[in-house]
Amino acid sequence: MIAIPLAVEVDHLVRRFGDFVAVDDVSFTVNQGEVFGFLGPNGSGKSTTIRILCGLLAPSGGHAVVAGLDVWRQAEGIRAQMGYMPQFFSLYGDLTGAENIEFYAAMYSVPPAEIRRRLDFLAERLELGSVLNRLTRTLSTGWRQRLALATAIAHQPPLVFLDEPTSGVDPVTRRLFWDVIADLAHDGATVFVTTHVMDEAEHCTHLAMMHYGKLIAQGPPEQMRRDLVSSLVQVQSERIWDALQALQGAPQIHEVALFGEALHAEVAAEVADPEERVRQVLASAHVPVASVQRVAPTMEDVFVSLARRYERPTTAGRDA
Amino acid sequence: MRRTLAIARAEWIHNLRDPRSLFVIVVLPVVLLLLYGYGINYDLRHIPFAVWDLSGTTVSRDLVQSFVASGYFRLRHVVIHQEEVAGLLDGGDVIFVMVIPPDLAQRLGASRPAKVQVLLSGADTTRASVAQGYIEAALLQASQALATRAQLRSGTTGRIPPGFGISTTILYNPSLNSTRFIVPGLIAVLLTILAALLTSTAVVREREWSSFETLVTSPVRAPNIMLGKMAPYVLIAFVDVLLSIVTGVLVFHVEPVGSVALLLAVSFLYLLASLSIGMLFSTVMKTQQLAILVTMLTTLLPTTLLSGFAFPLRSMPTVLQAVSNVIPATHFLIVIRSIYLKGAGLDVLWPRVAVLALFALALTVLAAKRFEKRL
Repeated sequence: MIAIPLAVEVDHLVRRFGDFVAVDDVSFTVNQGEVFGFLGPNGSGKSTTIRILCGLLAPSGGHAVVAGLDVWRQAEGIRAQMGYMPQFFSLYGDLTGAENIEFYAAMYSVPPAEIRRRLDFLAERLELGSVLNRLTRTLSTGWRQRLALATAIAHQPPLVFLDEPTSGVDPVTRRLFWDVIADLAHDGATVFVTTHVMDEAEHCTHLAMMHYGKLIAQGPPEQMRRDLVSSLVQVQSERIWDALQALQGAPQIHEVALFGEALHAEVAAEVADPEERVRQVLASAHVPVASVQRVAPTMEDVFVSLARRYERPTTAGRDA
Repeated sequence: MRRTLAIARAEWIHNLRDPRSLFVIVVLPVVLLLLYGYGINYDLRHIPFAVWDLSGTTVSRDLVQSFVASGYFRLRHVVIHQEEVAGLLDGGDVIFVMVIPPDLAQRLGASRPAKVQVLLSGADTTRASVAQGYIEAALLQASQALATRAQLRSGTTGRIPPGFGISTTILYNPSLNSTRFIVPGLIAVLLTILAALLTSTAVVREREWSSFETLVTSPVRAPNIMLGKMAPYVLIAFVDVLLSIVTGVLVFHVEPVGSVALLLAVSFLYLLASLSIGMLFSTVMKTQQLAILVTMLTTLLPTTLLSGFAFPLRSMPTVLQAVSNVIPATHFLIVIRSIYLKGAGLDVLWPRVAVLALFALALTVLAAKRFEKRL
């Protein structure tokens, strides 16, 4: 068996802010070369976790190790290996894009000649163009995010933390970002990326889902789809509301949700023929059916299904 | 080293592109200098004085008339009895009383020097010192006028009569020997404001921009950040010191008597102390407004009020005198005034300079220890 060196190891990690538990007993590992998608809605503890991993926040309990070093006590030993793009705009507003990239590259001790080479490469890869010569405070969110990404990867770190890189970014730029992330992984880097857009999870090689501070599932995307959503059946009917009512609470049917003009019903895994089971329920309720067919679940289906299994805590979540 | 330089360069750019910083760097010194310049110029005109003319001759009346005609002096009272003198000076009605001796005319006629006595109130040291300079100048001018007239009368170029001498007695503050100390004092105030204010906002600004978060995750070390952030302000402060010296020469006609190199060296020590105080504040403050307010209260006020800049240390209560000893500005003021006005060197000043160096070292070490790469 070939041992895969661990890039990130998180063990029973807890972080409290007063009484509020932002990260609640979370454990996972990230292997080298993975694109690790850290999913969850706003306020689920993603940013808190990423900031602990970057050595910005002390854990309240448990511990996290990056490249064999404790992220809090040995933080300085890891920094040179890391790139970090925070959730909020954190470049210097009164410096131009190029000046920002040059500044941070210098912080990571990139030689001047190499900085110029990287600047050219990033300008081309992220299509930065004339934006490099403008003060970043004058730029729109999309351009700022491009520059922030360029800054985070300018020193070619083997481990990259990206906190919601695609928030506020148009679909074309979004696609560009995921292409760049794929390149990074292809070149051997480990990319740890958070997002609350579930569909973006398809770009990741491994996923972890956060919900109210707890890690509720993890694995490769296809495995999560296979394991976690029992069987997903799509129903089309003229009387869609009646169908919804008939299926809700029916035995062996876990979840029903409206999905556009159709219904998605989650049928228990032990049911051999989930389509037949749905037909039976609807027939006994005398609801006419246009079509019933199994569909591949989207990541959103997976998340909704998982989220509903966990009770809502009374305290409201927040993204700290 | 390259990291420190990169931080210094970025800090430099922040200042260049921030109108507020530019205000503090360029406008504030100019405004302060003008304020003090205006204050002193205002006092220079119409200095109130009294005359006790024991001579009562044409010569003595001409002398008084020349004072009044110059526009710098205003005759407020003519003393008849000696008892009036003390009351006039005590009440602050006049800055000085000119006592013209009974034998003035006789001595001048005999070509012997005639001394005019000036009783100067030292309560307001600044005004007193300026007044003293003007009295001397006015007397010299009167002597020259007297000499010219004598020559015209005799039609010869023979012996020139010696004219008026002066014997000044300074009351209330007899040690008024360091004249016009406002310029060196101003240098101390400028360095305090600039250093503490700009450094404290330099780091707090990063927190507000949340760029500190990215900086903290980079492998750059805390001392590099501190050094890089301080470096531009050393340069800026030196420029402001030179600006103050030049303005002092041009506006106040005060030239540094001592070594400018020593002056800059001592300024550097004081600057380190001030910058470190600013750095210490920056580790605690969360917003720029708060940083500015707290820095003003804790550095500017003690520097102007307790260090001897505005009020003589000797006239302070003992407790405040003790407090003033732990303010770096107190020692800096004494040193810089001694260099500036007396031309004193290290041979005399070394104990104070040592105290300053100690302050600089202690505060820099403290700031470096407290300055952490944590949010």
